[in-house]
Amino acid sequence: MNLDYTAEDEIFRAEAREWLDANIPREVRPPDGPGMREFDLGWQRKQFEGGWAGVSWPVEYGGRGLSLTHQLIWYEEYAKAGGPNAELLFVGCNHAAPTIMARGTEKQKSYHLPKILSGEVAWCQGFSEPNNGSDLGGLKCRAEIVGDELVVNGSKIWTSSAHLADWQELLVRTDPAAPKHKGISWLICDMQTPGIELRPILIMTAPGHHHFNQVFYTDVRIPLSNVVGEVNDGWNVAMSTLGFERGTAGMLENIRYGAVVERLVDMARQRLGASALENDDIGQRLAQLRAEVTAVRAMTYRIASRAAIAPPGSEASLARAFFSQLQQRIRRIALDIIGPDSIELPEDDPWIRPYLRTYSNTIAAGTSEIQRNIIGERVLGLPR
Amino acid sequence: MNLLPTEEQQQIVDMVRGFLAASAPLERLRPDKFGQIGNPDAALWPKMAELGILGLGVPEEGGGLGLSAVEEALTYIEFGRALVSVGVLGATLGAHLAARTMPDIAAAIMAGTSAVGLATPRGAVAGDDGIFSGEFHLIEANEADFIVLLTSDAIALFRREEFTGQSERLSMDSHMRLMRAALESGKPLSWSSVKDGIDHARANLLIAAYATGVAEAALAGAVDYAKVREQFGKPIGSFQAIKHKCADMAIAAEVASCQVSFASVILSKNSDESRFHALASRIVAVDAALKNGATGIQVHGAIGFTAEVEAHLFVKRAHLIDFIGGDQRVQKGQFIGADAVI
Repeated sequence: MNLDYTAEDEIFRAEAREWLDANIPREVRPPDGPGMREFDLGWQRKQFEGGWAGVSWPVEYGGRGLSLTHQLIWYEEYAKAGGPNAELLFVGCNHAAPTIMARGTEKQKSYHLPKILSGEVAWCQGFSEPNNGSDLGGLKCRAEIVGDELVVNGSKIWTSSAHLADWQELLVRTDPAAPKHKGISWLICDMQTPGIELRPILIMTAPGHHHFNQVFYTDVRIPLSNVVGEVNDGWNVAMSTLGFERGTAGMLENIRYGAVVERLVDMARQRLGASALENDDIGQRLAQLRAEVTAVRAMTYRIASRAAIAPPGSEASLARAFFSQLQQRIRRIALDIIGPDSIELPEDDPWIRPYLRTYSNTIAAGTSEIQRNIIGERVLGLPR
Repeated sequence: MNLLPTEEQQQIVDMVRGFLAASAPLERLRPDKFGQIGNPDAALWPKMAELGILGLGVPEEGGGLGLSAVEEALTYIEFGRALVSVGVLGATLGAHLAARTMPDIAAAIMAGTSAVGLATPRGAVAGDDGIFSGEFHLIEANEADFIVLLTSDAIALFRREEFTGQSERLSMDSHMRLMRAALESGKPLSWSSVKDGIDHARANLLIAAYATGVAEAALAGAVDYAKVREQFGKPIGSFQAIKHKCADMAIAAEVASCQVSFASVILSKNSDESRFHALASRIVAVDAALKNGATGIQVHGAIGFTAEVEAHLFVKRAHLIDFIGGDQRVQKGQFIGADAVI
């Protein structure tokens, strides 16, 4: 075991820090709408032009081809510099792109990967359906093969930023007769295709804003060449990158939360007094959170150490399940430190909206309950 | 950067695990074999001394093996898994404190011929300039020549005779022998404050590593049982009510183990961040041991409430180690006062 970095790593770190200092956006990120899209894509373009967009992406797709340790260093410096949480880019960069890299055709790779990395396009996810959330494998959105096209009919829901996205990773049922996990295909869907309609869904942040959509597909025609992997093998295609999402994709957030806890410690010391804090219930809970967020960094390092040997598997669910609940407890304590004024919602509020947002952490990308099933069955070997 | 054990480190883990599986199986703590009170581990010390385990992290010039806090923490996880008497902690910490200035005492401790008990405060401790007064619990001290005192801000090695009014008490953890005793301006043979070096941080790290082992063993026992115990015609581990409890235990153990590894590397470099990371590891690991100990009993159902399975041993040992040098409330108070490490 060691926490040593090579001289070359340290040069990389210094370069990252210097670039971030000079280039981090100073303006406030709009919370939603076309302004948010412009902000996130513009920031991605800037990172791409600076050579920082795809640190661990292969060189052939526009990345730097460096190790996960370099990626980790970049995230650490990004978090220290207070880099924005450009959420709109998450599905494209951390989900669609690794899937296409792993299972896509050469044509799909050469067309889509550079556009994702350079901030030309935004992606959204079409997995959940009104009647299939946790039971994703039972999805019903149909696609019939007609000539060299797929004709899609059905509906998807909880699609974040579908109204701002150019492309969608779409799971559809291509063989209704097959066992449920065997008749699914993974498609690249152009969001401008005729027959796609959106219904906005406001989320519970205050005041509720347009984040989710229900997406309706009526005779939407998608070229057969947009299937990633084999037709009817979409479940395996989707699963091939879920380990990635549960492991390495969360690294930046894991590191960022260390700074959030230190801001809370400072705020609590100011409001309650540093010495009173030691025996106060808030001080005790904050100490627990501080220890836990410190441990999350250690978990992130262990995941990166394992990933150097083999791709992240089910054990990454341990970190994800822990971190999603930890985020909720960290954001929750802010209200106790602020006290009665926490029922106000100031214009420049740094705490209340992020707190409300954390209710989604234990639901999105596999609920805490599904994560625990995965841990129980695939890590501990308990029977189904 | 790599937080996984090296091949050499894994060999040490395998060696210690193999030794403990043969010489200290958990069944040794069953009441029908050894009686309810007292521990059978005194016989382990000479054998562990032979393997070099008692002086593993003591520098070679001090008579030890000269390995780092990383190897020490890895072995302490194994000690926790086997519920080795916490007297081992007295030996390790005592050997470190003695090695610099009292080579004969260090040698006797590392050879397993002088046992070292632990002292932990029962209330406020006065400890100005290395003179200590207060009321204490002594753990595994009955046959010890020396005592290591751990408070929230100091660690000190005493001759046992310095402690007055030694009187036996039964312990909640029946395998550990317990006394009350006092120090009246007691002078240690050697001591160091939390501000000097990493002696104090090492104590917290090794308690954390031991607690991680307890949490892992409680998890392993619960999972094994959930796979074989059947109700309603199925193994109980197939029910989410049980499966999710086991998953939570696995999460707690993983959190503890990762932070212990991280902190052990920090200590091995004598870093200024040692205190912070050792405290963080102690807080998450003792938490994991307490929670997993309790949950393990519940997963076992009625048999978990008996002395016929090991489940109850983990929670009792977790409570005992929680109090060594100050419980979670004390440690969290220390930790929230510590400077940030970013």
